[in-house]
Amino acid sequence: MATFELYRRSTIGMCLTETLDEMVSNGILSPEHAIQVLVQFDKSMTEALETQVKSKVTIKGHLHTYRFCDNVWTFILQDAVFKSEECQETVNRVKIVACDSKLLTQ
Amino acid sequence: MASSTTSNVYIHVIEDVINKVRDEFVNNGGPGETILNELQALWEMKMVQAEAIFPTTERNSAAKATPGGPITTPVHDLNMPYEGGEEYETPTADILFPPTPLQTPLPGTAQTPLPGTVQTPLPGTAQTPLPGTADSSSLYNIPTGGTPFTPSDYSPLNDTGVAAEVKTGPGRPSPFMQPPSPWLNQRPPLDVNVAYVEGREEGDRGTSQQPMTQDFFMNSAGKRKREDFASQYHNGGYIPQQDGAADTIYDNTGEGSKIQLELVTPVQAAAYRIPQSDGPIPDAYDDALSTPNIYYQGVVNEDYNIVNTPAPHDMQAATPAPVPQNDDVDDDDEPLNENDDDELDDVDQGEDLNTAHLVLAQFDKVTRTKSRWKCTLKDGIMHINNKDILFNKANGEFDF
Repeated sequence: MATFELYRRSTIGMCLTETLDEMVSNGILSPEHAIQVLVQFDKSMTEALETQVKSKVTIKGHLHTYRFCDNVWTFILQDAVFKSEECQETVNRVKIVACDSKLLTQ
Repeated sequence: MASSTTSNVYIHVIEDVINKVRDEFVNNGGPGETILNELQALWEMKMVQAEAIFPTTERNSAAKATPGGPITTPVHDLNMPYEGGEEYETPTADILFPPTPLQTPLPGTAQTPLPGTVQTPLPGTAQTPLPGTADSSSLYNIPTGGTPFTPSDYSPLNDTGVAAEVKTGPGRPSPFMQPPSPWLNQRPPLDVNVAYVEGREEGDRGTSQQPMTQDFFMNSAGKRKREDFASQYHNGGYIPQQDGAADTIYDNTGEGSKIQLELVTPVQAAAYRIPQSDGPIPDAYDDALSTPNIYYQGVVNEDYNIVNTPAPHDMQAATPAPVPQNDDVDDDDEPLNENDDDELDDVDQGEDLNTAHLVLAQFDKVTRTKSRWKCTLKDGIMHINNKDILFNKANGEFDF
């Protein structure tokens, strides 16, 4: 199963990466096992987003920068508004990084 | 902060990951279950600290995942190193001082341990400050008798001097190292504490005041050495260049005048070294009409700013000399300040990046009609306004 390493940059992914870094540098965990954990995180996070999350969001804003490189879209929005069922958030600058979903199904 | 749904999904992911790597950890000589539990506890603790999951739900889920005991123990294990790291911070700050008490017995006992202690830190941390000064001294043949760096030339005073310099060498980087990596210091503090106790005993036996006075004295001496190196370095830069320079320039190259040049106002500086760095171009042009000499200087001035105008050969030989000299003087000051600013900027940028709003997702489709962009995203994690929000689908409409 193909996975993205994309979600490692999220809060949960960063926390895991920091934890693994500390354990590896402490010598109580081998880098190989740390990588295994990261790969498993990629799978579990992707799966959880597919199966456990049902919410929908609309995003509006001024597109400051767009970039499509290596099948990854990067948008930088200004004055963006995020609306979901639960809440509405406004930010003056947000970065969106999106991988091609078709790569996962291949 | 995270919404309850986000928190639940995160907890689910953590448990899922831990459960699925358990085989790898337990079997085939893996690190074992305890390490896995430690990983989970540390991960969850970081998530709680990041306010990405709720501590209460975390505890509930932890209780669900495994019956209390095995989880709580690793939690204690986790807290230990953390508290330990904080507890040991004060001792590790004192670790900076152990070299001082350690140094005390050295002059008393023998000189033989000194090269050992001096050389051991050298390849490690202290190498950066020392070789720079040592190299400059060797390169420019500085005749300062008080600072021989070869161990064979040691006199007792110089021994302590070098030791004091080495001490400041490893002493300085370590305080910077400590805060970012309490974990790295987790083991060393224990060892160092032993060394610290030993050093203290020896320091108590000997005179404890000696190292302090020596410390201050040698520190100031170290500064003088650096200044000496710097000035001699500049002198070395000046002397060969003076050969081609005009006499008036030679007058400017005295040490006193050089220092003055750094301190004097631009007008005075212009009076000293004429137009090279300070004299504004239009003034030079005005003067250029009157005297040919000043005309040359005007050309030199243009050379300094824009290296376009060809100067006469005589002046070409002379001009490159003073101009790089001024650059050297300026470069010695400015890059340091610039670097400091850069470091601060980097820190600021890092903080900005940490607090940056970020959306990580997969895209199904991205289309554009004129300046109107539409995209459909799915399976995304948003970190916005310090909240983590997950979405299954997202529609975006952007104006470019």
